[in-house]
Amino acid sequence: MTSSTPSRERRASIAELCEHAAHLLPQQAPLHAFVHHNTLHLFEHLPFEEAVVEGARQFRTEPFQTEAAFARHLAGGRIKPEDIDAVLAEDSALDAAYGRPILPGGPTRRQLRALRLRHLFEVPRGPALLWLLGEADVRTRLSPLVEEGRREALLKRASSDGAREGREGSASKGRQARLLERLWAHLEQAREPHREATSWARRRDQVLASTGFDTDELVHPLLIRLTAAFLDQGVAYWSMPEREAGFLSAFRRLYGRPFGPPDRFLRGLSEELRRQEAEGWDAERTIRWALEALRVPEGDWDKAIEATLLSLRGWAGMMYQFEQRPDRAPVEARSARLIDYLAVELTLDVFATQSALGDHGDEVAFDPQSGEGTPAAQAAAKRPRDLTPSSHLELVYEAFVLAQLAPIDLDLFADERHARAFLDEVRAFDEMARRRALHLAYERRHRVVVLDGLLAHARVSVTPPPKPELQVVLCMDDREESLRRHIEESCPTAETFGYAGFFGVPMSYKGLDDVRPRPLCPVVVRPRHLVVERAVDPSGQEAYRTARRKQGALTHSLSVGSKTLTRGSLMTATLGFTSIMPLVGRALFPRLWERWSRPLREGLVERPKTRLQIERAEGDDAVNEDGLLLGFLVSEMVNLVFTVLTNSALSPGRSPIVLIAGHGSSSLNNPHEAAYDCGATGGGRGGPNARAFAAMANHPAVREGLRARGIDIPEGTWFLGALHDTADDSMTYYDDDLVPEALLPALERAKRVMAEACARNAHERCRRFESAPKGASPRKTLAHAEGRARDLAQPRPECGHATNAVCIVGRRARTRGLFLDRRSFLVSYDPTTDATNEVLAGLLMAVGPVGAGINLEYYFSYVDSAGYGCGSKLPHNIVGLFGVMDGHASDLRTGLPWQMVEIHEPVRLLLIAEIEPERLERLLSERPALDRLVRNGWIQVVAWSPEADRMHVFQRGAFRPYTPETTAIPIVDRSAEFYGDSIDHLGPAHIRSSFREALA
Amino acid sequence: MSYSVQSALLIALVALPFSAVLALAIPAWFARRASERAVTRVVGWAFGSAVITALLLAAALSQRGGTISASLGDWFRVDHYAFSITLVGDGLSIPFALFSAALVGLIGAFSRRYLHREAGFYRFYLLLSLFGAGVELVVLAGSLDLVIFGWELVGLTSALLIAFFSERKKPVEHGLRAFVTYRACDLGLLVAAVWLHFRAGESTIIAVPGARAFAGFPVPPGAFDATVLGLLLLLAAMGKSAQVPFGGWLPRALEGPTPSSAIFYGAISVHLGAYLLLRAAPILERAPIAAAAVVLIGALTALHGTFVGRAQTDIKSALAYASMTQVGLIFVEIGLGFRYLALVHIVGHAAVRSSQILRSPSLLHDHHHLERAMAETLPRTGKHLERWVPRALQPWLYRHALERGYFDAILRDHLIGGLVRTLRRIDTLDQRWAHWLSRPLDGALESPVLPPHQKEERS
Repeated sequence: MTSSTPSRERRASIAELCEHAAHLLPQQAPLHAFVHHNTLHLFEHLPFEEAVVEGARQFRTEPFQTEAAFARHLAGGRIKPEDIDAVLAEDSALDAAYGRPILPGGPTRRQLRALRLRHLFEVPRGPALLWLLGEADVRTRLSPLVEEGRREALLKRASSDGAREGREGSASKGRQARLLERLWAHLEQAREPHREATSWARRRDQVLASTGFDTDELVHPLLIRLTAAFLDQGVAYWSMPEREAGFLSAFRRLYGRPFGPPDRFLRGLSEELRRQEAEGWDAERTIRWALEALRVPEGDWDKAIEATLLSLRGWAGMMYQFEQRPDRAPVEARSARLIDYLAVELTLDVFATQSALGDHGDEVAFDPQSGEGTPAAQAAAKRPRDLTPSSHLELVYEAFVLAQLAPIDLDLFADERHARAFLDEVRAFDEMARRRALHLAYERRHRVVVLDGLLAHARVSVTPPPKPELQVVLCMDDREESLRRHIEESCPTAETFGYAGFFGVPMSYKGLDDVRPRPLCPVVVRPRHLVVERAVDPSGQEAYRTARRKQGALTHSLSVGSKTLTRGSLMTATLGFTSIMPLVGRALFPRLWERWSRPLREGLVERPKTRLQIERAEGDDAVNEDGLLLGFLVSEMVNLVFTVLTNSALSPGRSPIVLIAGHGSSSLNNPHEAAYDCGATGGGRGGPNARAFAAMANHPAVREGLRARGIDIPEGTWFLGALHDTADDSMTYYDDDLVPEALLPALERAKRVMAEACARNAHERCRRFESAPKGASPRKTLAHAEGRARDLAQPRPECGHATNAVCIVGRRARTRGLFLDRRSFLVSYDPTTDATNEVLAGLLMAVGPVGAGINLEYYFSYVDSAGYGCGSKLPHNIVGLFGVMDGHASDLRTGLPWQMVEIHEPVRLLLIAEIEPERLERLLSERPALDRLVRNGWIQVVAWSPEADRMHVFQRGAFRPYTPETTAIPIVDRSAEFYGDSIDHLGPAHIRSSFREALA
Repeated sequence: MSYSVQSALLIALVALPFSAVLALAIPAWFARRASERAVTRVVGWAFGSAVITALLLAAALSQRGGTISASLGDWFRVDHYAFSITLVGDGLSIPFALFSAALVGLIGAFSRRYLHREAGFYRFYLLLSLFGAGVELVVLAGSLDLVIFGWELVGLTSALLIAFFSERKKPVEHGLRAFVTYRACDLGLLVAAVWLHFRAGESTIIAVPGARAFAGFPVPPGAFDATVLGLLLLLAAMGKSAQVPFGGWLPRALEGPTPSSAIFYGAISVHLGAYLLLRAAPILERAPIAAAAVVLIGALTALHGTFVGRAQTDIKSALAYASMTQVGLIFVEIGLGFRYLALVHIVGHAAVRSSQILRSPSLLHDHHHLERAMAETLPRTGKHLERWVPRALQPWLYRHALERGYFDAILRDHLIGGLVRTLRRIDTLDQRWAHWLSRPLDGALESPVLPPHQKEERS
């Protein structure tokens, strides 16, 4: 130990380094509070295309789909040749080099790239290439990809060469071989030896490289166990002792005891921990000691800390989440600090490294306390990693094949300059660059189909009737697109609206059964009001509570008891065999079983009638212990309702019933259940918000206040709150006993319309499930959807946001009757009443980041399921009530499971707003956060002129006019007619029945 | 029902699962991929029929008692030995066979949805039916020799299903770990078979004089032989049933798809060791030392399991240790001679535990609903431990539990580790010797014993 009295600056710097590295960690909250966010949020200051590559380098992940996947898209027509041409044209517009020939008379860069993208041949790697070159005839026979004309030209050339060399008559095979061998030799001579020295960020990497032993194999299992035990929210029967004092302290208490664990690598640990504790070392002091002991040069500490934390990034990230957001802990907060975690990890690293080097004493010696490494160790540290001999051959091979394909005079390669220029050109368009171009082409095709559909639809579209019979406000969610369409199809006089699913009511909510209130509003909003659900009749509540509690206590003691020794043996040996019943039920009749057993699980007492306690008297500013006001003032409610009605352009009074429906999703066998809920409520269910909004809008005093502000809600209009379950397509209505008697027929009619729409919605959803019955009636598919949500064996209760790709902010009249395949967020907005664009700005500020968050999380979890997503659900194991691992001791898996994203199309969100491009440009420039997302290409933005059928796409830093490829659109009577039995993604279509009465 | 019909049913009970294996394996051999529906139909049909067969046999057996046996002749015969393929149905094996077939069938039905669209769907069902066939063979085998056959099938399928997600490294390592443990302990079974032949003259299962409905292995004449045999069979049972000190593979085994974890480690596979000991009950009766060893191992396992299980923070490990605890208790019951209790306990425990493992992915959902039912944070557990254990001991005990009794460290660093280090030293010497031999001689080219980059990668 050299520095026992550290200076102040260094003390600060370790915490800063740790904080800095923390931003690279996954930002996923505990699973119950899952909120979608951009996986590469940290890289948003970079353009998307650079950021994904940078992320891939940092996390060893994939930035785009694989080249093989793109090749399939090309073959299947998902990407068309004109898309590739368009992408290259875009690139050429930015860089003049695209237009210059690479070789005299040869192709330009643009031509060569176009050729390469049309021939996505595989370049084998390493031994596979060596084998191919050594054993197959690739070097002596023209590639089978060479087209006929080119083949003939090359063969002719070869024979004339042969003639010149006086070898008349030799077989064409031999001539071909000589030509190709010459080409190969020229290219191979021209390649520059390409060696890259590797530096190690962590000592562990060096030990692994020089001894083949991975110290993480020793450290990680222990660290995982410790972290899980520290953060655990109630899985373990016995919790970690003394964890209140923090992770490092608890670790020292546990492992600083004499008679330490028998692990060889932990020898001396307990003495060291006792010493550190006795000397009162804090985490920073420990980290400094460890980094010095690992002899990481001080200049590299940032990299070492970053790499160390990233080595188990799921766990480190969760530790950081508990530190940053204690309020999001599932059960109770912990005194978690990432820096403590880092100190523990580095301490264990020191001992593991010491032990590993001890075992390989002959090669590298290392003593953490004092001395230098042996010369061998130092040599190992400096030695650059040899690239395998084949890695530069790969480039030569690629250039070799490409030279055969491209219209190039092969003799040019005799000049090393030309050969080198060609090789450089090939290297510049490496796999990453090709995948980027293919990705852009893939996105372009989607964009063209959607924009053409919108424009074509506008030409056939018919204006809906003036007086709607029913108005329905749903969440802007892409999953509600189909429900809205089916409402309009079942009832052409219905009018629908899309609004962020918290319906402008930012509140913390505590339901009758809830243990603690939870915020129900976008994550960026901090609620200031608490709304509580209370039983109308307190005695009913008492009976209900007692019964529920008894039921709960029994379930809890059975579940805990069955795992213990004595209670467990009594239970299993006596009544255990009765468990065969649920097993049979769950395996063979999941839906029926769920229905029969519900009373057993939830008790027989009916839930009492409740109301939301929503109003706070003027002047009552008492806050509860969390600093929340209990309910809203009438004036606040007036503001809230006013804002929503104005922003969504909903004019009340046009229909007797205005239905406000939030959404949520309930399912079994689904640790990620919360990820299927409503993003606008911060991952909660929007029912209470809808209920609260309806209660506000029905409030006489609120209506009075609104009238003063120019909105008149007549007597004959009633707002009704509801919840749509997107998994089983059921509707729950709130407070429908309050509906005035005169409106009861309208209420009945509304419920019937919704029931029909839900059944049809289930039918449309089921087309995407391979295991759903095909050609069945909507009723049957509704039962199927319900069965999926209740099935313990079902890893795909619903598709969630999978396939989301578009967000349209504009008047419903322009998208009504347009089949958008559940792929589009729909936000209601009327440009004609928004002269200053303030409303639009507010909407875009909300939907832009939220939509991008959802869309990009799906993007990344799809393109690299193992690296960004959490892989297959099947081996998942819930740990500590906050996350999932694969098996018993893996890194915490973040991101979305494969089953959730498998039908997704990884394209960036196409945000289409009804506004003139110049105004949108101005709007963006005044809002840097949004502008950054757009300018860096994290979302694609289109300005759709409110007055005309013109569109402008934001490309290369400006809005550029869009020219449609086609003006045709399929026209059908009903959605079901269009999707039929198809299981694939479908383009837009015009649905006539949404306008049936308008036509008549 | 005539006796010959019963024999035929007995044969069918083993043949049905094997027919499912063949029906899946033969198309796979010719690289023909059946649809998911066809695969689950085959498995459902085979195990469904097996359940009916077992029910018929159980009915017949309950009417007349005794045992049913069926012989398929000898596989091979040498001077003094014949490997006869005989099956025995009695009050022990028929209920067990019925229960196993039913569970495999149920898991088969369950997994149809669970593994839908999974790349390894076909492989899963092939291994599941092979496992089911192996279990039926172990359960109904009429001789120890035949037991070994089924026992190995169970071990192999178990290891392959742990390594189901073979694209990751850990499942494969853990599958290997289970396999090696099984193989090491199977030595007990092999030696026991040979010993039984030498000392008792045969290994065929015979009716036990005292117990009306249970058959068992023949008892060798001497008490010493009985003790040795008892201990050998115990060794075999300890591996399969994850008893102390071999149980470290059990939590690791939960890497496979959840349904396979449920049936192997919650229900059937983990109880097969207990079943073997039930079959060996006559021998244990004759060998009090071996019986005491069974009780001791069982008791140690139960304590270890309950203790370690309490510190586990992930639901599957907690269930694995809960499972280990109960199997330990079942061993105790067997050692003490409570055979019926043990049988009831096995069935009850298997049903409870496999349901729990199947439900484990819904833990968050269930926890949320439980909290809502109670309208409060769930009561804290483990208070009595804190009350009874002195404060100074608590961290020490907790660490013991968290580290899973240190069995892994002892195994890695002190049993296997010593061996590995010795081998590594020998390797170093060998390399030096090779270097010396291959040192460049005057005028000679450097001798390419090992290219330099390979040398670095070794060790």
